[in-house]
Amino acid sequence: MIITTKKNQEEVLNNLKGRQTVFIVGCGSCASKCGTGDEKAVAEIKEFLEKNGKKVLGSVILDSACDMRLAKKDLVKISDFQDASAVIMLSCGAGGQSVEKISGKDIVSALDSKYVGSTERIGVHRQFCSICGTCILSETEGICPRTRCAKGLLNGPCGSFVNGKCETDQTKDCAWVLIYEKLKKNNKLDKFLKQYIQPKKQSEV
Amino acid sequence: MKFKDKLKSDKFLITAELFPPKGTDISVFLKRAACLTGLDAVNVTDNQRASMRVGSLAMCKLLLEMNIEPVLQLASRDKNRIALQSELLSAAVLGIENVLIISGDHPNAGEYAGTKTVYDLDTIQLIKTARLLETGVDLAGKKLSGSPKFCVGAVVNPSAEPHELQALMFEKKVNAGAEFFQTQTIFNTAQYKLFLEKINHSGVKVLPGVTLIKSPKFMQFLQKLPGVNIPQEVQDRINGACDPLAEGMRICSETIRELRSFSDGVHIMAIGMEEYIPEIIKNSL
Ligand code: SF4
Ligand code: SF4
Repeated sequence: MIITTKKNQEEVLNNLKGRQTVFIVGCGSCASKCGTGDEKAVAEIKEFLEKNGKKVLGSVILDSACDMRLAKKDLVKISDFQDASAVIMLSCGAGGQSVEKISGKDIVSALDSKYVGSTERIGVHRQFCSICGTCILSETEGICPRTRCAKGLLNGPCGSFVNGKCETDQTKDCAWVLIYEKLKKNNKLDKFLKQYIQPKKQSEV
Repeated sequence: MKFKDKLKSDKFLITAELFPPKGTDISVFLKRAACLTGLDAVNVTDNQRASMRVGSLAMCKLLLEMNIEPVLQLASRDKNRIALQSELLSAAVLGIENVLIISGDHPNAGEYAGTKTVYDLDTIQLIKTARLLETGVDLAGKKLSGSPKFCVGAVVNPSAEPHELQALMFEKKVNAGAEFFQTQTIFNTAQYKLFLEKINHSGVKVLPGVTLIKSPKFMQFLQKLPGVNIPQEVQDRINGACDPLAEGMRICSETIRELRSFSDGVHIMAIGMEEYIPEIIKNSL
């Protein structure tokens, strides 16, 4: 799912600039799972905005803000949505743009979209995939170096891993050491030696 | 004799490296370079540690004018495949034959944290790209009018564990077309010898990196770098010396003397103290 975090509330207020009337749109998919676009998050930002003199005309939580058909069906008939001078989005950037596309409204994003995350346990997410368009997991033992190597190196590591950790962050495993360990365990080091992954082709972008 | 030809000889090869200036004043660079005229080649770093400096290419050209054979360091960090190939062709046009292909330190640790990193090609892909250009075509499959000739180098880190992974990477880089290697800094020649025994380095030359420790403060800085392990004995010698620079030079000379018995050569990193390199070399004989 898309991992989102809440923006600093002052930043949201600042981005509203002169606009007084707002409508809040949450998202029932990823942002709800992250606790950034659910009922509680909507209530929280509503309270903050009202305390700061804004008029909140209404709010809704869409099933998936990124589904333009649903967004259109659920939103256009709400007159408070139509009347508001700005729409506060508690969704990822795709959700915000979907709502903009179907309504043409002024969008103020209250979340930052971080990455596509796998959930390890509640509240702990890991970035494993960066949606590159040409998956090479079958070549790299199911561990993605495009995403999990800080330099996105496809044919092997740089020289700076230390004790299995990445040069850029001693708390992060070096993706290539992980791949190496798996290859070694499965007696496939020869595959690593012989394999060459080409630069991404234009047609694959 | 050109560096490329020397790689085929039995000569103990000595290279060093220079940092381009941060700004347009090249006087210090030229002064340091003037101390290195007797070396087999001199590397010019490419925005090392992800700092911003004059480009390696311009400074390599200045070295050529001083009759010093330059090694252009080319990091895949900052340039996409168009810029990388263009840089390689530019080097060839200026008469710069030696290129050292590196991925480059990640900007996260440097003064430009948060900048967009490129890494469009990795080191293996970039080594192959240099070799491809020599055949008269580029990565898009287009014909070149006039093809370059390179002497392609790469890096290996003898101290990074697991050693086996570095050894495999070394072999991959050789297979991709690397002709010579320079390594990250080593302090223990016996350990380096063990690493050499583990890798198949026939046909290519490996020049281990040796760093001049100029002060206790500099030693502290070095130790913070990823993968740098300074033996206790060296630390004690530097910390206990009344003239740490002289002691650092002695350590360097001793290391090089030991290397002379089994290594292809040495790559000296003096980090601003290049004027002492001729003396270090003299005392290593
Ligand atoms: S290669 Fe990595 S980034 Fe690309 S699709 Fe596969 S997992 Fe995702
Ligand atoms: S240390 Fe490992 S994960 Fe980090 S940049 Fe180098 S190869 Fe990639």
